[in-house]
Amino acid sequence: MNQKLAMVIDSSKCIDCKGCMAACKQANGVSRGAWRNWIKEAVPPFVNGPGGSKKLGHGHFQPGACMHCDEPSCVQACPTGATYKNALDGTVVIDPKLCIGCGNCIKACPYGARFRDPQKRIADKCDYCPERRAAGLAPACVDTCPTKARVFGDINDPNSEAAKLLAANQGKVVRVVAKNRDTKPNMYYIASTAPDGWAVQPVDPLSFDFLAGVVAPVVKWAVGLSSLGVLAMLGRQLFAGAGPHDHGGKPADERPTGDKKEDGHA
Amino acid sequence: MRNLKRHDASDIFIHWFNAASWLVLLITGLGLIKNERLNPLGAWLPDALRALFGGGSAGGAVLLVIHEVAGVLWVLGILAYLAVNARGARFFLKEIFSVRPGDMSWIIRKMGRMTVGIGGELPPQGYYNMGQKAFAQASVAGGVAIVLSGAVLLLSDKLLPASATVLIGWAVTVHYLAVGLVFAGLLVHIYMAAISPEEKPGFRSMFTGVVPEDYARHHHGLWVETLDKGDTGTK
Repeated sequence: MNQKLAMVIDSSKCIDCKGCMAACKQANGVSRGAWRNWIKEAVPPFVNGPGGSKKLGHGHFQPGACMHCDEPSCVQACPTGATYKNALDGTVVIDPKLCIGCGNCIKACPYGARFRDPQKRIADKCDYCPERRAAGLAPACVDTCPTKARVFGDINDPNSEAAKLLAANQGKVVRVVAKNRDTKPNMYYIASTAPDGWAVQPVDPLSFDFLAGVVAPVVKWAVGLSSLGVLAMLGRQLFAGAGPHDHGGKPADERPTGDKKEDGHA
Repeated sequence: MRNLKRHDASDIFIHWFNAASWLVLLITGLGLIKNERLNPLGAWLPDALRALFGGGSAGGAVLLVIHEVAGVLWVLGILAYLAVNARGARFFLKEIFSVRPGDMSWIIRKMGRMTVGIGGELPPQGYYNMGQKAFAQASVAGGVAIVLSGAVLLLSDKLLPASATVLIGWAVTVHYLAVGLVFAGLLVHIYMAAISPEEKPGFRSMFTGVVPEDYARHHHGLWVETLDKGDTGTK
């Protein structure tokens, strides 16, 4: 069976040390000002204390990154196939050679996982550190996490740490899902997590909606009609012959004078 | 029989240079679109074209480089033509954008005659007939749109900032639309010129530069009339 690389996160273990964010930037040479992963923070609520007093409750930190969805809205928005779902390991990949930097995928991702790299001028995001995986290492963020909040592995392999953790918490696993559309993210949070509801609705840029919804069908119809016309003419030529071929119109000397043109082209 | 001069060597060159550029750019371009909502014929086409040039990502990258180089050469070739034969280019543009009374009737009747065999007599035509004019107009307008949107796409990952992604997105849309519509016309153009027996002398003139006078009289009567009036004789 093909792999399905995923991250299983116990966000209650996260201490917001930002080690994963720093390690990712260091390992992947992410451009200044850009981040491939994040830690989101749920603001501690005011709760009722003893004697009618109020006190701060518990906050919560939530590590995250590209969720390598099974139904990725970013892939559906990419015009060149530069972003695609890798069938072998389940990761959502950006091919830098084919990306033209149009930015469709950035708006299409409801999790804000993508950005346009200011230096490379193309889309970038978490790729689960393929160089490190090839060398037998876990992604940089997983390796560096001091509390082991992030667990990474092939969840199709029941012996992987990630699959075991998922199995041990069956029925208690939650995901952060886009508004109005489940993109089937492969980022699993154990028991509960916060903040929730921050994922937005995936949107295609107007230019892409217009292209896919109007322009592509119009072009198909135009080419189809023109092909039909050519076939009709060809059929007539082959089966009916060119037909009586009076070259149309009266002889030149009987015609009214056309507008003059310069004797320019010769 | 007398021949009338119709095209300069530079006209013939730019026509075939344009045709070759279209062939290369269309094929490589089809290999660059890959999206289930955009594929004109399905994902197998970009996959096959990419496989032809090394497969997958590497093949796609080769297609992109060929497309970009051919696109720049196409523009340079057209600029070179404009520099060599600006007079011819001006004449061409003036002719294709001047639609005469009777031209609309001509194109409707012509389509009827060529497909179902009815349409009646055709009004006389000038240097270009209305079908040629319509396709030339589409090629020129489409060509401008293709070049401008193509320039945006060429520069998108070289020069343009993230704030320009709206522009880049629309460039993709315009590029697709312009190529698609000109291609629809191109099918008819190729049939009329190269396959239909009627226009064979016109097709040959795209190599020799000249057309027989009787063909010209029948197909481009108003043009020959102006030649007669200008008494330019064999050209």
